Amino acid sequence: MSQTPAVSQPPAAHAMEILVGYILQVGVLLSMALIAVGVAWRWLNTGNPGFDYTISGMNFFEFVLTDIQQMLAGTFRPRLFANLGIATLMLTPYVRVLASMLYFAFAERNRKYTVFTGFVFVVLTYSLFLR
Amino acid sequence: MSFLPLLLVSIAAGFVGAMSGMGGGVILIPALTLLGMDIKHAIAISVVSVIATSSGSASAYVRDGITNLKIGMFLEMFTIVGALVGAAITIVAAPRPLFFVFGIVLLSSWLALYLQRHEGWTPVAHQDAMSRWLQLEGSYYDQAAGQTISYRGARAYFGGPLMFGAGLIAGLLGIGAGALKVLIHDLVMGLPPKVSTTTSNLIIGVTALAGTSVYLAAGLIDPGLATPVILGIVVGAFFGTRLLVRLSNQAVRYFFLVVLAVLGIEMILRGLGGAI
Repeated sequence: MSQTPAVSQPPAAHAMEILVGYILQVGVLLSMALIAVGVAWRWLNTGNPGFDYTISGMNFFEFVLTDIQQMLAGTFRPRLFANLGIATLMLTPYVRVLASMLYFAFAERNRKYTVFTGFVFVVLTYSLFLR
Repeated sequence: MSFLPLLLVSIAAGFVGAMSGMGGGVILIPALTLLGMDIKHAIAISVVSVIATSSGSASAYVRDGITNLKIGMFLEMFTIVGALVGAAITIVAAPRPLFFVFGIVLLSSWLALYLQRHEGWTPVAHQDAMSRWLQLEGSYYDQAAGQTISYRGARAYFGGPLMFGAGLIAGLLGIGAGALKVLIHDLVMGLPPKVSTTTSNLIIGVTALAGTSVYLAAGLIDPGLATPVILGIVVGAFFGTRLLVRLSNQAVRYFFLVVLAVLGIEMILRGLGGAI
């Protein structure tokens, strides 16, 4: 058994940091790529990279669901990529909170912080249902 | 509003925001309103782009083990509720008070930058029972000092409620309000500067999401405006971070002082009766 220095973090805490770090990085990069594809495609099609539609009358989950339905139906168009990019961006911190909650609950078994992250998750879920 | 001016203004705002450490929103929103955008749309678009810039920079710090996830997640409980309240106020508010409050925040940032403290960090000598119960402590490897720094956070009972206020301002004005969060971490909770700034970055992303959800529900997230702004601000922030000037240069600092003062006074005048 090798002796670990007193200052080092427990390995469990480090795994969580790697998980959270990658969720944030992948989320932002994916979202940027989707938006860039949407903008570039619209530019090539119409000569104008700017979109002229609005997102209104629906909550975030309806917004995501509409995008997924279009994706499954195979109706790919620039607007869908822009929407998926915005949705991915909004999902990034949301998934980060969900992953932290599950990590605190099952890997670290830290009841206090499972409750804290659970509270954040519930409030965010509520706010994403607003319309 | 056409794509190219939006993209260019956002690149500039992201660049200046990252270089100064103030974040993009503080520059972006006044600039967008000068381009003729209505202030509520500018706030809504800015808050979405804040998710991108904060999450992007937070990811590296989290993996380096500098960010304190527990302190961040405890304080997020307060900032997200504040952001929901702040964004709800903006939805029903008249434009003029928003210009006025924004101007006040800009002038406060001016004051913070002008008085910029360079005091060293004093570790917390006595940790209160609540902060101990909350496990507000940690350690990180400081590359510049070449050693591991251990620290404890204190006064969570003040820090939490104050973070509600920081979240409120973030949601109300569509900015990260990072300077305010860092101030609470430093002065109230006694965290080392690096932990303060990186943990604030983590909190900003989730807080901005809470604000964004309210603006999305209100139909204020217009993809035609959001796409160039998100792309521009991320690209600008990417290059701004890599320049790493970070106000070490006096000329750069004076430049920001002038920019903040001009924008702050301009926003207050518009709040008091100028063109909006």
